[in-house]
Amino acid sequence: MTTEGSEDGPAGPLREALTVCAAAGMSGTLRVTGHPGGAIHLVDGRVVAIETPGAPSPEVLLLRSHRITESDWDTAFAAAAVAGGRMSAELIAREMVGSGELEGVLRTALADAMFVLASGTVEEYRSEPGPVDFVLPVEPGAETEWLLAETSRRIRVLASLPDRYDLNRVMAAPGAAARPGARLVESQDEILALADGRRTPRDIAFALGQGVFATILQLARLREADLLVTASRRMTERDRREPGHQAPGDEPGSPSKLPRRQRDRSALLRNPKTAELRAPLRLLQPRFGRSPGSGETP
Amino acid sequence: MAEDKLLAEIQALRDKVTGITGTAVASRDGLIIRDDTGGVDPDNLAALTATALALAQRLVSEAGQGTLREAVTRSSGGHVAIYAVGANAVLVLLGDEGLDITRLHYESRATIDTIEALLALSSSESAAG
Repeated sequence: MTTEGSEDGPAGPLREALTVCAAAGMSGTLRVTGHPGGAIHLVDGRVVAIETPGAPSPEVLLLRSHRITESDWDTAFAAAAVAGGRMSAELIAREMVGSGELEGVLRTALADAMFVLASGTVEEYRSEPGPVDFVLPVEPGAETEWLLAETSRRIRVLASLPDRYDLNRVMAAPGAAARPGARLVESQDEILALADGRRTPRDIAFALGQGVFATILQLARLREADLLVTASRRMTERDRREPGHQAPGDEPGSPSKLPRRQRDRSALLRNPKTAELRAPLRLLQPRFGRSPGSGETP
Repeated sequence: MAEDKLLAEIQALRDKVTGITGTAVASRDGLIIRDDTGGVDPDNLAALTATALALAQRLVSEAGQGTLREAVTRSSGGHVAIYAVGANAVLVLLGDEGLDITRLHYESRATIDTIEALLALSSSESAAG
């Protein structure tokens, strides 16, 4: 059976399964199949980590956000591996991150991953009691009541936004004109440069090294300010190389899909990497003209 | 035409597998056929991919481990997965740290078969035309 997150909270069966595991004081993994799916790791009935392709792990949050450098991470990882110790203890002992800050990042990652799991589809789940091995667990683990309440809160916040935001399959397109006089701060500039019509909110969150939920809230504010528009399918680079080309189905006000910044809306937003578009090479075969229906996803 | 279907096919894979950031299909001699790489230079990618595939196949053969299924490289900032497409082409997928490798294993086979068929169709069309 496939279930989806509702406005009231996480997908019901997943909520029930997690509650049962917690009540039994399980140590092990609740494996969730679906999109994006993932694995919820528990120790003595408390959630210590959640792995899912849909949300950045603590490692991504720490490294991509430059809280910790890669070389520091590698040093701590090697030391923890050699000593058979905890990665978190190494990071704190080496003063690479404060204990409070680390706990904050770990709990944020946990809540974000649970929110993403619950917002996706759950095809099936199974519990696998056994030892849990995770690089950066939350210690002590989070209580499921808190985790599920936080997940419900996030889903309610999203439901209250004027547009619907799909975590996995959202698109963008040129559309409404930018509101004159809109002010940008540096973080907005960065997120707008990433909203190129090819990335989902999840992809942008990974690129920024921040949570998916926080990213969606930022995207929603930009969309409300008419700085972002949406498209019905993922843009390709060819769509961007050929400025006159409009993706089929793109229209202002179409269901919220991948965020995309307005083309040439502001010199401030121009990304030199994307501005310098390479002429495609014609090699084995000539590149054929794109027919209107191609590339559409069901 | 075949190339549009090719692009549609790799786009569909991108939609099915969480975490893919770019894709390209190249010839075994390292020339790009179709790309949607998300800012990575397609020509360099094609050349390196063809070389990496040849090396990985040689490595597997030397180790006596049968047929190469895929060559996956994991780094601090993501993944690169390389697949042979028939005898003449190669598919490369770029992914971020969260790339769903399990689903990729599962979904990539059908995509590769379709790409192989499209490339065969494309070359027979060009031979006929």
